[in-house]
Amino acid sequence: MKKKILISPIIVFFLILFVFFYLLIIDRNPSELPSVLINKKVPAFETKSLLENKIFVSPNEFRNETTLVNFFATWCKPCRDEHPYLIKLSNEKELKIIGINYKDDSKKAIKWLEKLGNPYSNVLVDSNASLGIDWGVYGLPETFIVNSNGIIKYRLVGPITKKNYHAFVLKVKEVEK
Amino acid sequence: MVPSLGNITLWLSLLLAIFQFVISHKKNFYSVLQFNKIAVNGLLFCSLASFFSLMYCHIVSDFSVINVFQNSHTTKPLLYKVSGVWGNHEGSMLLWILVLTIFNYFIFKLYNQKNIIFISKTLEAQAIIIIGFLLFTILTSNPFDRMTTSHTNGLGFNPLLQDPALAIHPPLLYIGYVGFSAAFSFSVAAMSINVEEKIPWHSYMKPFVLAAWIFLSAGIAFGSIWAYYELGWGGWWFWDPVENASFMPWLLGTALIHSLITVEKRKSLQSWVLLLSILSFLLSVIGTFLVRSGILTSVHTFALDPTRGIYILTFVALLGGYSLILFGLKSKNFLNRHCFSFFSREGSILVNNIIMIVVCASVFLGTIYPLLVEIFSNNKISVGEPYFNSITIPIMMPAILVMGMGPMLSWGKADVIGILTKSLPSILLAVVISSIFFWVYRSYNMLGLAGIVLAFWIMSNILLTTFRQLNIKNKEVTQENIPKYSGGMIIAHLGVAFLILGITGSSVWQKEKIIRMKVNDETSIHNYNIAFKEVSEVMGPNYVALQGIFWVYNNKKNMITKLKPENRFYPVTNNSTTEASIHTNLSRDLYVVLGEGDVNRGWIVRIYYNPLVVWIWIGVFAIFLGGLFSMKNNLKKLKRLSI
Repeated sequence: MKKKILISPIIVFFLILFVFFYLLIIDRNPSELPSVLINKKVPAFETKSLLENKIFVSPNEFRNETTLVNFFATWCKPCRDEHPYLIKLSNEKELKIIGINYKDDSKKAIKWLEKLGNPYSNVLVDSNASLGIDWGVYGLPETFIVNSNGIIKYRLVGPITKKNYHAFVLKVKEVEK
Repeated sequence: MVPSLGNITLWLSLLLAIFQFVISHKKNFYSVLQFNKIAVNGLLFCSLASFFSLMYCHIVSDFSVINVFQNSHTTKPLLYKVSGVWGNHEGSMLLWILVLTIFNYFIFKLYNQKNIIFISKTLEAQAIIIIGFLLFTILTSNPFDRMTTSHTNGLGFNPLLQDPALAIHPPLLYIGYVGFSAAFSFSVAAMSINVEEKIPWHSYMKPFVLAAWIFLSAGIAFGSIWAYYELGWGGWWFWDPVENASFMPWLLGTALIHSLITVEKRKSLQSWVLLLSILSFLLSVIGTFLVRSGILTSVHTFALDPTRGIYILTFVALLGGYSLILFGLKSKNFLNRHCFSFFSREGSILVNNIIMIVVCASVFLGTIYPLLVEIFSNNKISVGEPYFNSITIPIMMPAILVMGMGPMLSWGKADVIGILTKSLPSILLAVVISSIFFWVYRSYNMLGLAGIVLAFWIMSNILLTTFRQLNIKNKEVTQENIPKYSGGMIIAHLGVAFLILGITGSSVWQKEKIIRMKVNDETSIHNYNIAFKEVSEVMGPNYVALQGIFWVYNNKKNMITKLKPENRFYPVTNNSTTEASIHTNLSRDLYVVLGEGDVNRGWIVRIYYNPLVVWIWIGVFAIFLGGLFSMKNNLKKLKRLSI
């Protein structure tokens, strides 16, 4: 009886290691965070557009096609790193991307987009962070995938990078189906 | 030139470690001794050279080295250029290796006529560990990798980490983690040699475990102090996965030290000691794995790289697999039929061990539970303070109760009624002091009550045992089974009592106030009035800071102090940190943090009234001292062994 107990440490040890190995091998992104908004309709809001003199009315604009919603700001360094990937998504995958310029100076944002290129079909102004609160954003950048019925399907906290770009495109395709 | 030197010595270390492993097998004692002398000293020399090469690169800001470029900047003060060496993944691995080779050297120093086989086995196991970490460093994270493009300046170093407490926190912690490697090697060696050879392996192991435990305690304390004044949330422990990674080996180390005493005195619990020393080291390495593989998200996360994770995990699997299989096969030789009563010193130590292991397992479960949930249900959850507090506090309470009693019990079997009469004075004393405490403070809370009573329970026990000890000495009574108390134990246990006092005070009676204040506004917190007098700009060596000046008055309108919290902005890395300003005395801390804001709208100010916090640091310091004290005695014993 006593002798059998002595081999229990090794069994427990390998069970734990197995879990770790499994987690390392599967393609997983620790910065994927759940959101209570997943599978819910996009929040309703109205706001100014940065580049055009138009008012954007929320649920109406999320119809007909899969849309990305990207929160960004000129003061956020990871946003700058992410920018080329957004341009790639917009040019190569022909995705509709709505940018939300969060707590930012509009003049700076316009200059920024002129310099780095504009991947967004529309840029919305969120100077007082109210849209950020509606969408439950807690760090920039954040990107949401919204399907053609205006339902939020996915949330990515942190930038799209070289490493997760491919996985992100797959997610978009999944939503498009 | 210097980076190449560092790289060469790193490779040379690998060769020497392999040499040490091969040579320790040899049967010819004389050649084992001579060759190991070369291997061990060479290894120590090479890892020192390699480590100081990297330090040199950081100090002279050699930006052709990727590691320096990514983590340093010319405007950084010298202290943080030095601490920047271990403030990143690659450099910290180099430090880890250096500490391993230092411990390796001390193990080598234990060689004498009688223990050649045993120490050779230990050095063999130690060589395997060194080889593993060297291969890991060289293959996946070489700090001497160069860049072809040249840069005139580096990317800078996380300003949150630019802090004196955090500069020495990692080395202390690593000495702790790595110290357990010696315990691991000793227990593997003890199981691989014939039991008939009466080697006092536990006496060799004990100073190493003590050293590891002392440094780990100090390392954890410095981390907490840093979190306390740098993170600005008035707390000193956040149950972050990385904090848990250091706390778990500490718990097992605590259990290990206590069982080692039992082995030494009574030869019981030997297999416990073997298992605990293996597990402490495995948990230290798994802790490293959790931090550096990116498998968990934490404030401490280094660069995320799954290949590193796979490497460390494979290494852990090999070490753990070998040692635990050995344990399964051989540890039955260490079981003995030595019986002891539940009411005995051994009994109390066993209870302490079991509780430490249960707490450790609960913390481990809480740390990896989000991962388990993710595998089985695809949901993401996080486990935080409520879980850890509600699990660990109730389990710890009986351990502390037993801790007060334990030292009074005699080995083997203690007389139950005798104990009750013996502990009656301390029960009374604890009740009296606690009543006085509550009479003065007039604040009642169940958890607070339990914490305070437990703290005073230990203190009164220690007071009385010390008193009795002195009495016995005077009368010169020499009798078997009369418990003797080591000075180290008394100081360390007193430290635990202070620690409990501080933890209870600061977590149960903390007061928090978060308000927006303009200049000349006034607010109050627990009998203190705090007036916001002015805001000014201050220049630091590599930052600019906004400094708020707050005048603090007590309820008699006397000014106590001026608090000057800062909000620092570091232009190089483009981020800012808060420096809390704290006024400390024995009964409380006043803690002010200046947050976001401007002149028109005012600033967000966080004010904390934290009772008894300073006792946490005093307690840890006493634990540290107690450890040192006991270290001294154990080294003396070790000397006697070698004669």
